[in-house]
Formats: sequence, structure tokens, C-alpha cells
Amino acid sequence: MLNMVSLLPHCKKDNKVESKEIKGATLNELVELRNCSSCLFFECRKHKDLYLWMAKCPNGPSVKFLVNAVHTMEELKLTGNHLRGSRPLLTFSTNFDNNAHWKLLKEMIIQIFGTPKGHQKSKPYHDHVFVFSIVDDHIWFRNYQISVPHNESDKVSRGSLEKMTLVEVGPRFCLNPIKIFGGSFGGPTLYENPFYVSPNQIRALERKPKVNTFAKKVKAKTRRKMHELSNPLEPDEFADMWKE
Amino acid sequence: MGISDREVSLSDEDELQEDQVNEDYESESESELEDGDVKLSEPSKDSVYDTEGLLDKLGDISWPQNLPWIDKLTVDIDQAQEVDVNDDLARELAFYTQALEGTRQAFEKLQKMEVPFLRPPDYYAEMVKSDSHMEKVKGRLLAEKRKIEEAEERKKAREAKKLAKEVQAQKQKERAKQKKEEIEVVKKWRKQRQQSGFSDKGNDLPLDFEDGKSFERSSKKRPGVSPGDRSGGKAWQGGKKGKMKKRDFRDSKFGFGGKKGMKKQNTAETTNDFRDSNKGGASGNKKRKR
Repeated sequence: MLNMVSLLPHCKKDNKVESKEIKGATLNELVELRNCSSCLFFECRKHKDLYLWMAKCPNGPSVKFLVNAVHTMEELKLTGNHLRGSRPLLTFSTNFDNNAHWKLLKEMIIQIFGTPKGHQKSKPYHDHVFVFSIVDDHIWFRNYQISVPHNESDKVSRGSLEKMTLVEVGPRFCLNPIKIFGGSFGGPTLYENPFYVSPNQIRALERKPKVNTFAKKVKAKTRRKMHELSNPLEPDEFADMWKE
Repeated sequence: MGISDREVSLSDEDELQEDQVNEDYESESESELEDGDVKLSEPSKDSVYDTEGLLDKLGDISWPQNLPWIDKLTVDIDQAQEVDVNDDLARELAFYTQALEGTRQAFEKLQKMEVPFLRPPDYYAEMVKSDSHMEKVKGRLLAEKRKIEEAEERKKAREAKKLAKEVQAQKQKERAKQKKEEIEVVKKWRKQRQQSGFSDKGNDLPLDFEDGKSFERSSKKRPGVSPGDRSGGKAWQGGKKGKMKKRDFRDSKFGFGGKKGMKKQNTAETTNDFRDSNKGGASGNKKRKR
């Protein structure tokens, strides 16, 4: 399972937190130590499931997501490239304003994924776009590079805006919100996703029919035995023919 | 957004939330699954949805309303139609159009604010993907292009071959026909001459094979062929490759018309050569051609 920590393309605020499994207080301390206001924590379980925690650190709400469909930037099919540290444009689909929990998530995303304006490591131009959209109750993330064929550096004519193309830079992933907590990495549950099924349960269910086949076999055997006992065969007339 | 009104009334509701929480940790595990797929088809009824709490938190963390847009850089795009998740192409297309729309709107705003937003071509700075990585990407793209082109070329070559074969067959037929015709004409002429008794000067006979063309070779130029070349232009065809040289060497040494009769010499190689031990007795001819 991929570990995307090293791949965060936004070289912006100092998210260099590396703690492994202990949540809660330790993470909060680490974040305060680094003087940050928010935290993205990737948790990888059983080498198969990746969870992402997004939290606003001092007291803010935190969200736990299950991450699917990850494609990292290393993939050669994602061919775009952009300045490291340039501020991204964030686009959201309007479904984010439909429900309260989406609104909260949107706000958190804006604060976490948007590079603040005067940050030392940020570069001046805007050459990439983040896309967050809600489809099927999952948040899909894409990162595109903006490429505009233009001749002069400053003035952009109407025409070239039309010829703008987007090349995917990556990474791309899909987030399935599990729970939203009132505190940072803990606290009262504000929201649970009613449709969420943990991957463990899915795997258990997939394995169940296989268990059944063996049980069925055993049962079939016993049934056969009973059947034979209750209906004895007639003695075979020719059984002794070859005996001699 | 009107959240500030709610903030006042929410202090009571915080206690209520805590009671709900304890029940819900158990209820989640009892939820049923219909298709065994990733999603529940029926939502578990007891999941928490604490609207007020959510909005409360939203009020807590959100930045002040009067932040200039430049600090946030967000655009909201209307998602026109429902996209099926499993249809990859449509989904990606939807994302792409969303991004495109968003960028256009953002650029218009930025242009109004006169903020430069495009990287000038001479601005070199560190990029998110390293140059070596981009080289790999480029290499892969080129390789794919080449594969496609090669496939196309192969197809074309196949077609062309077919055509060429047909054309060649036709040409051969024509040539054969011409040959026949010419022979016929000569025969006729001879017959006529015979009949008219070899007396005339050949003025009024139709000698249509003598229209000056038959002794001309085809005027197609073949490069590298001099007029007196009888090998058909294939004698010199560039240098031979390495293996052919070896083959030629061996042919010249052991093949028909090879070296002149040094087969039974007692040379350095043959003293240790016990392949044919019946052959012995080398003659003492030391004229070894090296």
C-alpha cells in the first residue's frame, strides 16, 4: 500500500509530522510544536487500508477518511508538472453547499489545501488547479496543471483563454468520510457516514461463502450416510457369482 | 451565513451530543449490508448527524467573511448532471470540465485584479516533479508514439506489398506479351521477305520492330551501375557484416576452391587435432600461407 506522505505536492506549511500509530494527544503536541494549525495524518493499516485524518489542531474538528483509488505523482501517465509552492486554485462542486457536513469539510479543505498568501515558500504564479468534487458521497481530488499557449508573458488575450488546456499532475485519490469529530483527533462525534462499511467487514463478507462450502460438504456427507442406512440395498444376486 | 446567531443557543446542546455518542458506537456495527458492496444500501438508522454541532464547529474555524478572495482562491462550479461513478471516462471528463470552468473564472478575476498568473517562459524554479522524472515521462510518451507509428507503417507496408505484387505480375505479363509480339513481327517480316524473294531494299516493308526502341534498355536509372557492368549492379553493395566475413573466410579456407592444398600440413593447429587420427603424415611443405 502506498504511503503518500512524501508525495504531498504542496510544499507549504511545515507538515512534517511522522508519528506512527498513537493518535490523540501525541499528535496534538507534535502539531503545536511545529506551530501549525492543521494536520493531515495518514494511517496505513494492515498494509491494505489507508486512512486519512484531517484535523484543525488546537481544538478544531477532525475528520477521518478512508482513501481509495490512489494514484501517485510517480505514475508516468500523469504528465503535468508545476512549480513547487505555487498557490493552487481550488475548485469545488456546488454539492458542497448542500449539507452541513459538506460545508464543514469544504472549509477545512480550503484551509488545509490552500497555500496562504504570503508564505515564504510560496511562489508567485498560479499554475495549477485542485478539483474537489463530490460524487457518490465521496470526495474526489484531482490536481491539474494549467497550460496556456501564450506569446507575451503578461497580457493574456481572450483567445488564449479559450485554448487553455489542463494536464493532470496528480496525485489523485478518493476520500470516503467516515466520521467527523468535534475535537482534534477525538471528541464527540458530530457526523457518521451511514453508508460506510469498514474494509475489514467487506473482506469478512467476501470470505464467508467460502466457509460455507466446507460446512455444506460435511452436511452432505452425513445426509448421504443417513440415507443409506435408512434404505438398505437389496442383496445383490450376482454378488457370489465370481467368488468361488 | 447566519451562524453567529446559533452560537449563543448551542451551549445546551453540547450536553445532548455526549449522550448520543455512547449509543452510536455500538449501532454502527449492527448495520446490515444488502449487496456486500462498499456501500450500505440502507443507511444505518442510528448514525449521528449533528447539524448544529457541525455548524457550530464551522463557525469556529472559518475565516472571517470579509477575507479578500485572493487569500482563498476558491471557485464553485456547478456540477451540471449526475455522473456515474463507475464510468471512468465520464467522471474524469466531469472533473476536467469543472477544473477548466473554475480556472477560467479565476483567471478573469485575477486579470481584473491585475495579478500575474501565468508563468513567463523564462522563469526557472524548482518544480514539483524532478527533471529526471519528467524525462522518463517524455521517454514513455515518445515510445508510445513510436509504437503507434510503427504499427501504422507496418500496415502500410503490407498494403503496399500487396499492391506491388499485383503491379509486378501485370508488368511481367506485359513484358511477356511484348516479347511474343516482337517475335511474331520478326517472323512475319522474315516470311514476307522470303516471299518477296529478297529483292527489295527494305523500304516499303513495315518494320515495326525497328522503330528504334528495341535496343534501348529501359531508361530507368539504377544508381551505381556503370554501363559496362554485367553483374546487374549487385557486385558492390557496401561492406559486408561481421559474421559474413567470418563465413567468407571459412569458405575460402575450407570451402570449394579454398586454399591450395595445405590440408595435410602438420601445422600448429593440426598437431593437437585428433579428430581424424587416420590422417597423418603431413608433408614437410612449409609454405604456409598465413
